[in-house]
Amino acid sequence: MNRLLYIFIILILGNVNVVRAQLDSIQKLDEVLLSDVKLKRYASGFKVSVLKDSVLTKSPWSLTDLLRYNSNIYFKENGYGMVSSPSFRGTNASQTAVVWNGININSQLNGQVDFNTINTSNYDSVEIRSGGGSVQYGSGAIGGSVHLSNDLSFMKHTDHTVRMGYGSFDTKRANYGLSSGSEHWSVNLGIAYVDSENDYKYLGTDKTNKNGQYDNLSFNLNAGYLLNDHHVFKLYHQSFVGDRNFSGTLLAPSKSKYEDTNYRSMLEWGYFNKQYTSKLKVVHLLEEFKYFENKDAEYFSFGRVQSFIGNHNLNIKLTETIDLRTIIEFAKYSGNGDDFANPNRNAFSATALWRHQVSEPLIYGLSIRKDITSDFESPLVFSVNGEYRFSESYAIKLNGSKNFRVPTFNDLYWNPGGNLDLLPESSYQVDFGQEFSSKFIDLKLNAYYINTKDMIQWVPDNTGLFRPQNINKVKSYGGELEVFLKHTIGNHHFKMNSGYSYTVSENDANAKQLIYVPLHKANINFGYSFKAVELFYQHLFNGEVNIIGGQLDGYDVGNVGLSYNYELSRNVHSILQFNINNLYNTTYENVALRPMPNRNYQLQLTLKF
Amino acid sequence: MKIKNNLVLALSLIILSFSCSSDDDNNQQEPQGAYEEGILITNEGNFGQGNGTVSFVSNDFSYTEHSVFSNVNGRLLGDTTQSIGFSDDLAYIIVNSSQKIEVVNRYTFQSVATIDSGLMNPRFITFISGKGYVTNWGDGSNAEDDYVAVIDLETNTVSSTIPVGEGPERIVNNGSTIYVAHQGGYSQNNIVSVIDPDSDVVTTITVGDVPNSMVFDNQGLLYVLSGGIPAWTGNETGGQLNVINTSSNTVSATLEFGDNEHPSNLSYGESLYYTLNGGVYKLAVGTSILPTTSIIENVNFNFMTIHNNILYGVDAGDYTSSGTLQSFDLGTNAPKHSKVVGIIPGGIYFND
Repeated sequence: MNRLLYIFIILILGNVNVVRAQLDSIQKLDEVLLSDVKLKRYASGFKVSVLKDSVLTKSPWSLTDLLRYNSNIYFKENGYGMVSSPSFRGTNASQTAVVWNGININSQLNGQVDFNTINTSNYDSVEIRSGGGSVQYGSGAIGGSVHLSNDLSFMKHTDHTVRMGYGSFDTKRANYGLSSGSEHWSVNLGIAYVDSENDYKYLGTDKTNKNGQYDNLSFNLNAGYLLNDHHVFKLYHQSFVGDRNFSGTLLAPSKSKYEDTNYRSMLEWGYFNKQYTSKLKVVHLLEEFKYFENKDAEYFSFGRVQSFIGNHNLNIKLTETIDLRTIIEFAKYSGNGDDFANPNRNAFSATALWRHQVSEPLIYGLSIRKDITSDFESPLVFSVNGEYRFSESYAIKLNGSKNFRVPTFNDLYWNPGGNLDLLPESSYQVDFGQEFSSKFIDLKLNAYYINTKDMIQWVPDNTGLFRPQNINKVKSYGGELEVFLKHTIGNHHFKMNSGYSYTVSENDANAKQLIYVPLHKANINFGYSFKAVELFYQHLFNGEVNIIGGQLDGYDVGNVGLSYNYELSRNVHSILQFNINNLYNTTYENVALRPMPNRNYQLQLTLKF
Repeated sequence: MKIKNNLVLALSLIILSFSCSSDDDNNQQEPQGAYEEGILITNEGNFGQGNGTVSFVSNDFSYTEHSVFSNVNGRLLGDTTQSIGFSDDLAYIIVNSSQKIEVVNRYTFQSVATIDSGLMNPRFITFISGKGYVTNWGDGSNAEDDYVAVIDLETNTVSSTIPVGEGPERIVNNGSTIYVAHQGGYSQNNIVSVIDPDSDVVTTITVGDVPNSMVFDNQGLLYVLSGGIPAWTGNETGGQLNVINTSSNTVSATLEFGDNEHPSNLSYGESLYYTLNGGVYKLAVGTSILPTTSIIENVNFNFMTIHNNILYGVDAGDYTSSGTLQSFDLGTNAPKHSKVVGIIPGGIYFND
């Protein structure tokens, strides 16, 4: 018996050793190349969908447009190009974390990210991690998180990409990307500019979108220097400067304007050893807005928050199969603006992540985090996750976690109304997923349950003054299906990816579906390519939503595109792409009384050399 | 957008109006429209959501109709229904963030005209000498561009504007002079503008901080209630009641509230009434001491008025679902009726 056991152990360890040899080099490569290794390494049991360059280039550059058609996330957009906020698994706009190269960039002012202020063209990939992620990504990762990643490649190469587009509503787009590297250094740079009159027709009326002009400039610079086998230094920087007029509604004209400015910079020093990896990061974030009630007047209100973050990551290889990662982070946030004085907040957090590859098919993770914040008590949060791979083609994933969202500067300090007695929102969730894969088809099926309490809502007190209170309790549950198909017959390549989500999100008080959460949402992307020609079609079905005092109709929108790939000269590859958006000229509103664009056209030329 | 609730409501109202029209009222005067003999409530709705409405409640509270304007005219009223003014058979509905005035027949609610140019954040209207006078904030963030728009009632256009101080709000007249209370818009102010409608010349009277309501008594005195500056500004002042002699246009008497008391909703019906900290207080005309006990308690009125010895108040509730209209008998101070109205009710008008 003992002998049998011995043999058994040898067999397992033997297997593991083979796997480990490969893993070691992959892991080290990941640590060097990826900005957010946790996303890959400590995500067992979570559904992570990756949108690569090929998808990003087909979409009209804003993160809203990309995710609306390529994920289960639902967006509330105040007219095309205007403020856009997500609802991820029925949660609200401040319960989705946006993570830029590993750093949570949700606004300290309102807790959200406006998805129309993120230009996707300067990123290598966008990942969608479904389920609670507060342990790893902090406040706001309740429904899930969206990750913007830049990879640094230490291989000898120099690639340029130039993209230019012109389309309806006098929409101009230009993008330049440079990626260059050698054995020891790596640089990538991206500049993207979008400018649009955005004066689309309000279908079914004689009106047009009168005050919807926007332009924005996005600049990314990332660089890495590999000193030797043990040390790597990296710099990540992103600037966004946006200038938008805010459209009115069908019933209320507008002449307002909004300017956003965001600067994000991060310096990282990585040290690699056989048994451990250490990464020290220093981050500076600046967010600023100016709101002009009248774009022609000089009056405006403004707000600004600066964040300084110091972060240390230590990954220890405890055994061949067990990794332990500790993260300590210190952050200092300071704000100023017209609606509050000069608030400051200090936060400290300590996190431990445990990952254990029990056997080839079984892997689990345990993690825990505690935040200490100067203004309020934050809960201890944790996550338990694991997956079991039954065969090459079938795996189950399970995760459960406690997550939180801290009150924002607006919630705490807004004058009038700000409430210093607020607690963070806290949330429990479980998520069960199954993944099938075969040569032609990949299928992901998930079911989840999220229970959030102490939700912050601004409600009037007995003098009619609105103040935020921890009053709401919300239960969300639902199911998601994602299907990917791939098939090739000779020179004909077919591709399809699609998603459907069923989302119930109810306020505990009245068991009514929350406003602006559709029960049903489905999207499909279909691609067909033959030699140099590629045709794609995308379709969105967005179900009816509740609004205050009524319902807003659901809608179907379809977009079609045709692209042609050719060699311009020996080293210059080009892609000419023509898109028709809103092919069926559907009349629809994403937010009540804010019509979306009529049928429109876009021509784009991409050069790679 | 199609609001299904409204559609169902509209259909049921059509059925209801057929079934009601055949009986009763045999020897009474023929009604001039469905909305005569009742109360109109302006419901602001949520800013930006375009759900501002007008509700109709019959005098005996037995019958209510919501979204009267869109039921009759087949289109939504607008964004932020601020107030209504009546001139002859017409009702002028001021829709603040739609920057317009919808002119309708006050009894049938049939649309007559829309005034949608020359207004910028319109608030309240008064009528004198065949003209309408509408207070406008201009841009809320600009203290220098506030004005009173003069409406030519023949053409339903803005014929001229009269520049005034920051944040003109309520506007009343006594047949010869117009009085504008400057609540201060997004800021705070402490004046009443006096406009001579013959010359459009403006003079000002200094009153308490943040004048929020004005009434005339039957002697022709004008009472101006100021709420004082709220605590959150860090510059709190208490409320004040100023009595204005309308022959000399000077303050003839002042009653001061406590430093942290912020009264509002001054109304008149033989005595003066106002709200303070969830209570309704009664002050006899000519009294120089403020009452210390309320006559009605535990109310939360966004607006209050008195008509035929009945006190009417609207409560906006949680501001995102329907509010209520409540009435109290001032003989006994006992509650009389309550009816659900629209979202954020803010005005009560008697369509007698």
